[in-house]
Amino acid sequence: MNKRELVELWFVRLVLVAVAAFVFSVVGVLAEIAGVVTWLALFGAAGAAILLFLEAGIPSLKGRLARYSIGWIIASAVSLVIWVFAQKWWQTAFPSFKGARKAWDTFEPLALFGTALFLIVGLAIAAVGTLDKSSVRPGRIEHGFVSNLSAKVAAAPMAFTAIGVFVIATLWTVYHSFTNSRLLPKSEFVGLDQYERLWSVERWYISIKNLAVYGLLALVFSLVIGFVLAALMDQKIRFENTFRTIFLYPYALSFIVTGLVWQWILTPDFGIQHIVRSLGFENFVFNPLFDADIVIFGILLAGLWQGTGLIMVLMLAGLRGIDQEIWKASRVDGIPAWKTYIFVVIPMMRPVFITTLVILASGIIRVYDLVVAQTSGGPGLASEVPAKYVFDYMFGGQNLGQGFAGSTMMLLSVLIVLIPWAYLEFGERKRG
Amino acid sequence: MGYSVQIKNLDLSFGAVEVLRDLNLDIHDGEFLVLLGASGCGKSTLLNCIAGLLEATDGQVFINGRNVTWEQPSKRGIGMVFQSYALYPQMSVKGNLSFGLKNAGVPRSEIEDRVGRAARILQIEELLHRRPAALSGGQRQRVAIGRALVRDVDVFLFDEPLSNLDAKLRSDLRVEIKRLHQRLKNTMIYVTHDQIEALTLADRIAILRDGKIQQLGTPDEIYNRPLTKYVAEFIGSPTMNFFNGRIEEGVFRSRDLEIELDGYQWSGEASSGEAWLGIRPEHVASANAASNMPYSTEIEVELYEPMGSDTLVWTFIGDQSFHFRLDGQIKVSDGDRLSIGFDIRRGSIFDKKSESRL
Ligand SMILES: Nc1ncnc2c1ncn2[C@@H]1O[C@H](COP(=O)(O)OP(=O)(O)O)[C@@H](O)[C@H]1O
Ligand SMILES: [Mg+2]
Repeated sequence: MNKRELVELWFVRLVLVAVAAFVFSVVGVLAEIAGVVTWLALFGAAGAAILLFLEAGIPSLKGRLARYSIGWIIASAVSLVIWVFAQKWWQTAFPSFKGARKAWDTFEPLALFGTALFLIVGLAIAAVGTLDKSSVRPGRIEHGFVSNLSAKVAAAPMAFTAIGVFVIATLWTVYHSFTNSRLLPKSEFVGLDQYERLWSVERWYISIKNLAVYGLLALVFSLVIGFVLAALMDQKIRFENTFRTIFLYPYALSFIVTGLVWQWILTPDFGIQHIVRSLGFENFVFNPLFDADIVIFGILLAGLWQGTGLIMVLMLAGLRGIDQEIWKASRVDGIPAWKTYIFVVIPMMRPVFITTLVILASGIIRVYDLVVAQTSGGPGLASEVPAKYVFDYMFGGQNLGQGFAGSTMMLLSVLIVLIPWAYLEFGERKRG
Repeated sequence: MGYSVQIKNLDLSFGAVEVLRDLNLDIHDGEFLVLLGASGCGKSTLLNCIAGLLEATDGQVFINGRNVTWEQPSKRGIGMVFQSYALYPQMSVKGNLSFGLKNAGVPRSEIEDRVGRAARILQIEELLHRRPAALSGGQRQRVAIGRALVRDVDVFLFDEPLSNLDAKLRSDLRVEIKRLHQRLKNTMIYVTHDQIEALTLADRIAILRDGKIQQLGTPDEIYNRPLTKYVAEFIGSPTMNFFNGRIEEGVFRSRDLEIELDGYQWSGEASSGEAWLGIRPEHVASANAASNMPYSTEIEVELYEPMGSDTLVWTFIGDQSFHFRLDGQIKVSDGDRLSIGFDIRRGSIFDKKSESRL
């Protein structure tokens, strides 16, 4: 790599660092450090741009990339105007701007950052455009800021949302789980206090245990029932569409509705117990929602009723994707159907199973509405789940710190499962 | 020599769609029979019926003299090879070859023997521990053939086994299948839509159209004495030239030409009436040879397609488009005038209405 390439590489890196740090400083995570990093990175990028200029000399307005660099510089100028509008001296001179003061104030840091960033990028592109003939391979700067610019601009909001929601919000949560935030987030650190408290309450233990039982059973039963239903549907039965729709209907209901429906069904005074008793079996007892030992199975029943249809449809799609000639070959080989399913078809459906697993797992970890609708965590604490713990502390108990600690633990448990799996799945492929 | 596979009055419909109608076919022991036809004509359906993968609506299938119409595919004594290879992707090559045998309870040592023998014959010994995904198309198809081979059966069924391969591999594997047949001498029933495969491999070819056998015969018969106009058009590349005209008193007259039919081998009585006269492009003589032919004329080259060994020349006889093969060594160019001729003894004449051979 020659010196030019190195400078371009660092320019792009520093711009990315500046943007990332800027987002952090706006969101308020490590705001001061992030602010400093933002400006340091911008200075660095400016330095890189200057290095390029030293090499390029005066850029001409007819340069190859002049159009693009002028575009960026205009964007910079617009930002500058917005920044000026937000300044006190401007607003004193032109009182009509005072009306929207709040809005201007919000935009001020963004405008200042934008002014600097766009200007630096514009200048760097001008320098690159002067340096490179169109015959050479585009360098990093041209590649990053000129080629396919419209696609990049179009993708930016989505990328920002994804990064904002998944990365920043996650980091923000983890960060605040080490503080003693109560009604509002604060940055007063208390070390692991929240976690110590979390692991000392019985409710959290019960929640974890319930999640484990519910999760394991829901996973196994959903997969088994879903697959068996799909395999039955795959036998070219009549009215397949009707059955598929019937099985899929519960999925269209919200968890709340499902929960309420099953609450009625399982309530001793109206539901199954009542019906069986009225048939003459006076001593029949079936009241899972009122028995602390089995309440989680009552919830499981509702969860399975709702979710299995979707699993079945996914599995059916997977089965339909299997080459029919595979089935013919196995029949010629004399393999019974069940063996073909287990040794040939299911291994071939691995991608479908992984998709299904992810959908199931995320549903399991988030199970909340079902519990709220059916039992509100009762009887006693018997059907509490982690998501409910987190929700209750964040919005009911006005103890954000506890809620964050709980959700961080949930995240951690997901990662403990996910990371080894991802390592096996993708690490292996690279080697193979 | 006995019959290996016999099909008697076979009908097959999917719901209201009749695919096979009253089909009869007897296949000799050790014969290589090719089922040839355009796609959708019911070749795979017929093969699946023989294999037992589809249940016949009516009629019977006999294999080695045994009525197997209601027998399971695995009990019929057949092995089958598919177009998409249909290997079990999660098993090694060895696993693919031995899965069926293991399931049938064949002793381990015998499985080893059979797999080893099949691997030797097909030269896939080094591949035994690979997964199908790590094999090329040709190797996969060899494994698929191996899976049929280890079953130690008398009848092999192939459903377009070479259609997914590229041209070079296809011709290589074609030769290998022929060699395999020479060596094993079992009955092979081979479905294809490719006439070259059919002509090169077959002892006999059955040409299927709309679920009916149009002609059953040796490649030579099929090529030289097609029984219907459909067969004549289907076999041969480039396709046969046809003239539409009338036969009167041993002379064929169309708008564009007039030919005496002396020496033509009639199927039955010499006949007359509306007819098609067909002549293959490779049976047309040109230049000096043309003058010795019973029929000759002079044409102007409209277009030519050099194909290396031959050149295909397009022209008109009267208003009728006509093409013929010319030795590749003879140089022609557009607009050249050439004399050409042919012998009606190498042509075919079909009734206008029934399109069957006269
Ligand atoms: N399972 C099926 N259901 C309904 N029609 C079918 C089915 N399988 C094949 N057919 C029809 O039967 C005809 C013959 O099919 P096939 O034997 O596969 O033709 P090919 O000669 O190309 O192998 C086709 O017209 C096809 O549409
Ligand atoms: Mg077919």
